[in-house]
Amino acid sequence: MEPVIEVRGLTARAGTATLLDGIDLTVAPGEVTALVGPSGSGKTTAALALLGEAAPGVRLTGTVSVAGTQVVSAQGPTGSAPAARGRLVAYMPQHPAHALHPARRIGPVLTELARLHRPDSARSRSAAAAHAAVALRTAGLPDGGTIRRRFPHQFSGGQRQRVALAQVLACGPRVVVLDEPSTGLDTVARMRLAGELTRLVDGGITVLLLSHDLDLVRAVAARTVLLARGRVVATGPTEDVLPAEPPPAPPASASGPLPSPEGDSRGEVTALQAHGLSAWIRPGHRGEVLHDVTVGVREGGCTAIVGPSGSGKTVLARCLAGLHERHRGRISLFGESLPVLRHRTPRQIRGVQYVWQEVRNSFDERRTVVEQVARTAVRLRRLSPEAAERRATEVCERLGLAPGDTRRHAASLSGGELQRAALARALLAEPDVLICDEITTALDAASTELVTAELARLRRESHTAVLWIGHDLELVERLADDLVVLDEGTVVESGGCHSVLSSPGSETTRLLLRSRHLGTRSASPSAPAPPDVRGEEEPCP
Amino acid sequence: MARYALRRCGWTVVQLAVLSVVVFLLTNLLPGDAATVDFNEQAGLDQVAQLREQMGLDRPLSERFVDWTGSLLTGDLGTSLVGGEPVSEVLSRSVGVTAALAAITLLLLVPLAVVLGLLTGLRAGGRTDRVVSAVTLTLASVPDFVLALLLVGVVSLRLGWLPATWVGADDQWWQRPELFVLPVTVLLARTVGGLSRQIRAGTIASLNAGYTVQARRLGVPPARLVLRHVLPGAAVPGVQELARAGDQLLGGVLVTEAVFAIPGTATALVEAVRNRDVPTVQALTLALAAVACLLNLVADLVGRRLAPRTEVLR
Repeated sequence: MEPVIEVRGLTARAGTATLLDGIDLTVAPGEVTALVGPSGSGKTTAALALLGEAAPGVRLTGTVSVAGTQVVSAQGPTGSAPAARGRLVAYMPQHPAHALHPARRIGPVLTELARLHRPDSARSRSAAAAHAAVALRTAGLPDGGTIRRRFPHQFSGGQRQRVALAQVLACGPRVVVLDEPSTGLDTVARMRLAGELTRLVDGGITVLLLSHDLDLVRAVAARTVLLARGRVVATGPTEDVLPAEPPPAPPASASGPLPSPEGDSRGEVTALQAHGLSAWIRPGHRGEVLHDVTVGVREGGCTAIVGPSGSGKTVLARCLAGLHERHRGRISLFGESLPVLRHRTPRQIRGVQYVWQEVRNSFDERRTVVEQVARTAVRLRRLSPEAAERRATEVCERLGLAPGDTRRHAASLSGGELQRAALARALLAEPDVLICDEITTALDAASTELVTAELARLRRESHTAVLWIGHDLELVERLADDLVVLDEGTVVESGGCHSVLSSPGSETTRLLLRSRHLGTRSASPSAPAPPDVRGEEEPCP
Repeated sequence: MARYALRRCGWTVVQLAVLSVVVFLLTNLLPGDAATVDFNEQAGLDQVAQLREQMGLDRPLSERFVDWTGSLLTGDLGTSLVGGEPVSEVLSRSVGVTAALAAITLLLLVPLAVVLGLLTGLRAGGRTDRVVSAVTLTLASVPDFVLALLLVGVVSLRLGWLPATWVGADDQWWQRPELFVLPVTVLLARTVGGLSRQIRAGTIASLNAGYTVQARRLGVPPARLVLRHVLPGAAVPGVQELARAGDQLLGGVLVTEAVFAIPGTATALVEAVRNRDVPTVQALTLALAAVACLLNLVADLVGRRLAPRTEVLR
């Protein structure tokens, strides 16, 4: 069959650095092809080249053609590239929160895109609306009149991703490029995503999947291209490139021993405790998203919070960090009551540090990353700027960020690099409690290992308490000694991590555990989407 | 949104109540009163006291305030101490000109500032940007009386193209559009600089925002991209600036009205202050303040629609 994407000798250079070094890529129509590789291997650069787009200062050469239209030639992007965008190839970025217009309701944007790209919709409003409805349904969002009148901030993180996917689908492209679509999805939602990708392909759309979620790749991709340092190192059927056995986890000794569940590092003093916490998202106590939640984390311990997306995990974290003011209930740090962030003393601010999911917006584009990481120590620990910068460089290096990377500006760092920089920024405060909200979503296995090792070290040496929010149950099992399962804003189960996971007592936990393994493509070619855990998810800011 | 609008309207009512107290107290701080102004130096103190009693100025402050607010609520703005005519008449006589002036200026200002802001923002750092920015900034920094006198000197006196003042055009001003050209030019020069700078800054931020990048990647053509994706984000700071410009136009056209001898509210207000005509001063000040409050109310409601995320910031 005629390939729908053909890439020959694609090279991308930025200054003297070579981001892509003559890569070749062929994507056959009607199947999922995965582009995998560690962070910084050039996946996104290659994907954007399919749109004939290059980041500022990046020069593209080689040939790229999509559905017969050449978008990159030896002279760089061609004149026909803009016409191909949307109509032939549509790209979904990694962080959908930035990709949605904050001031526009989602419905009009969907119909606008349909009218732009679909011949039958150009004149007919009803045809455009019909395409928008199909796009929403295919992306896995309930299609009602009210949902199209919502603004992006009125959706939860996972739902925003689906809105971004719906925008892509509304264009009716031949090829869909998805950049890390499973970022931040819980196991149930991830399984549903796998089903959706399979359905897209069944509907005749070619999918290029950029991911380091190897389970997802194995489950949906027919072919896989492995990138490393800007070169193709392997290409072929997925089962050949990525053998079904997951790569063995690095030996525990490499990352330092993780504290055992009943280990000595776990003190008996409760560091951070929330008691009877209820929170709502709209003024006047409306839209309650947390109902009477009680969680605690012991000094040097790790409590994990899991639950389907939209269950209120982020709102809980924001309450604890003092960012969410519409709440009731007692939050205390070592028995001392904690007010909202505005009223916290510097000592209390230092004590509780929060690392959140989408960190790019939290970095100033005009200063270097290391400067901003060091700032925490200057502000909260009164270190001199020089000493703080030395500490910052040290911590960043332990997290796998070279000094050369951190001296750059945030815009030139990848999502995974920034995520680790954000962790380093929180660590420089030397907090008593560290709240980690999905901080490994953009990380590959090796970087995740560095992060968990650093957290283990902190718990052992500084008795830092860690509150871990995450979807990856395997990681949770390795890290946490206590587990709290949240569903629809209520604690449905809590207790020792191992006992909860080995004998789950609630339906939510069982559902999360059941969908943790996606299986391989041959085993379940079109995994049926599990029953909707909920129709409406609560928006979270 | 409806809830926010209601709350915001409620606050506007509170603002107006506080303003009425402030206006009343401030006007009472003016040295002297109508009784002293009305008489020449030879008038005896007892005559002044008599007049004061006639005008009701000898009563305690609180009593007068209650009277005043009471009649305000029934729509009675009081009676001018100087001419003896109702203040509402003074207001309606003078407000038309000022409102027309402000409305014409706003009608021209908005499209002009949006076009200039987009033009400079889309080509930030380019030649167009540098030229337009230099001109608008210069105009915004020249005091308006200098510009007004300069225009009168060149356009009216030397070239004789346009009338220099409104003297003699008291009642037929709406039939003579040429009267408006110079005042509106001066007012525009004052306001367009600030507004277009805000829109320029908003355009640059919005142009680099993730949502614009994604819209471009989804093949939204350039013109549509600017109008439907960049502009809504760029307009947020502009709307607040526009409300401020509106305030300025209604209250701060003082100099312009003085230079061109325009019989508007500012002229009436200055005259009333000079005569210590307290009821007129109070009514005019309160009317201008009320308009300012309403303009800011509208700006906040529009701004809220343009940045709906603010509802979850806390």
